[in-house]
Amino acid sequence: MVRVYTRSKYATTTDLDDGSVLVRATLDDTFFAGEVEMEVRVPELEIVSIHGDIKRAFNEECQEAIPLLQEAVGLVIGSGVNKAVNDLVGGAEGCPKLADLILECIDQVVLRFTLPSLKLALARNEEELMEGSREMVRQNPRLLGSCIAFAEGSPLIEGLELDK
Amino acid sequence: MLAFTRNKIVGVECPDEKTFLAHGVLEDYIYALDLDVEVKSPDFKITNIQGEYRRYTTPECPKSIPKLQNAVGLCITEEEFARKIRRMVGKEGCTHFANLLLECCNGIMQTAIYNDWKESKEKASATEKKEYLKEKFGSIPGLANSCMAYSGRNK
Repeated sequence: MVRVYTRSKYATTTDLDDGSVLVRATLDDTFFAGEVEMEVRVPELEIVSIHGDIKRAFNEECQEAIPLLQEAVGLVIGSGVNKAVNDLVGGAEGCPKLADLILECIDQVVLRFTLPSLKLALARNEEELMEGSREMVRQNPRLLGSCIAFAEGSPLIEGLELDK
Repeated sequence: MLAFTRNKIVGVECPDEKTFLAHGVLEDYIYALDLDVEVKSPDFKITNIQGEYRRYTTPECPKSIPKLQNAVGLCITEEEFARKIRRMVGKEGCTHFANLLLECCNGIMQTAIYNDWKESKEKASATEKKEYLKEKFGSIPGLANSCMAYSGRNK
């Protein structure tokens, strides 16, 4: 059967010389093409600059959404940022597609900083993997309950004691 | 040099007037997943879903596959749909499968909204965009207030 629609979304992160992270997310689908690029200051994880482009869209009015991207400057990647992006850039008075690209960029920053500890954890034997997982949760308590691997009752966090 | 990349691809086909089939692939430095999801109109509910890991990080990850079935019966046009998926498929299972599922459902929505326009242009029988969208506002819940472009048209 022939496809009637395709969607390709690609996101990358690059470490800059001053320690910041440059992250770019591109969406190219049958009806829309757009891109958002932003710089995130480390270790604060604050969005310090952002720009974007809509190359193709069904409606000409979509170009009027580009200035909304600046609402994301100053946001810190952490608890509540998804809601903030959707409220400031998305929704009925905004552009959910641009908001989605910002959220994609945010996801990539989080994954980029998760990668080193994951590489270490995966290099270990099973027993060390268990302790490595517990250590990840001790350092990032928000992981607790975030998915089935870190759910209550999971063997990966058995015996875990968190500092109160 | 890139520190991290993520690539997501979604393709949608329509085997009949009322059925949307999306196939999604997620590939990044850490994870690789495949997902197939079926949605039927006019109620835009998920009727079938299958997923498979190619790469994952912990022995617990494959236990999230059955949690995909939590999405069956959910309506993708409902305002709370994304939140439900993040909880019922993500938190209870795998956040990356939830992410790819939302991408697939977004692709299905774009197909539902715009594919008829594409086909009518190909047949040189297109109406004006305004009339086309007016019809879609009536048949796709939530579309009329989904963004500034469409909210503006309704004022």
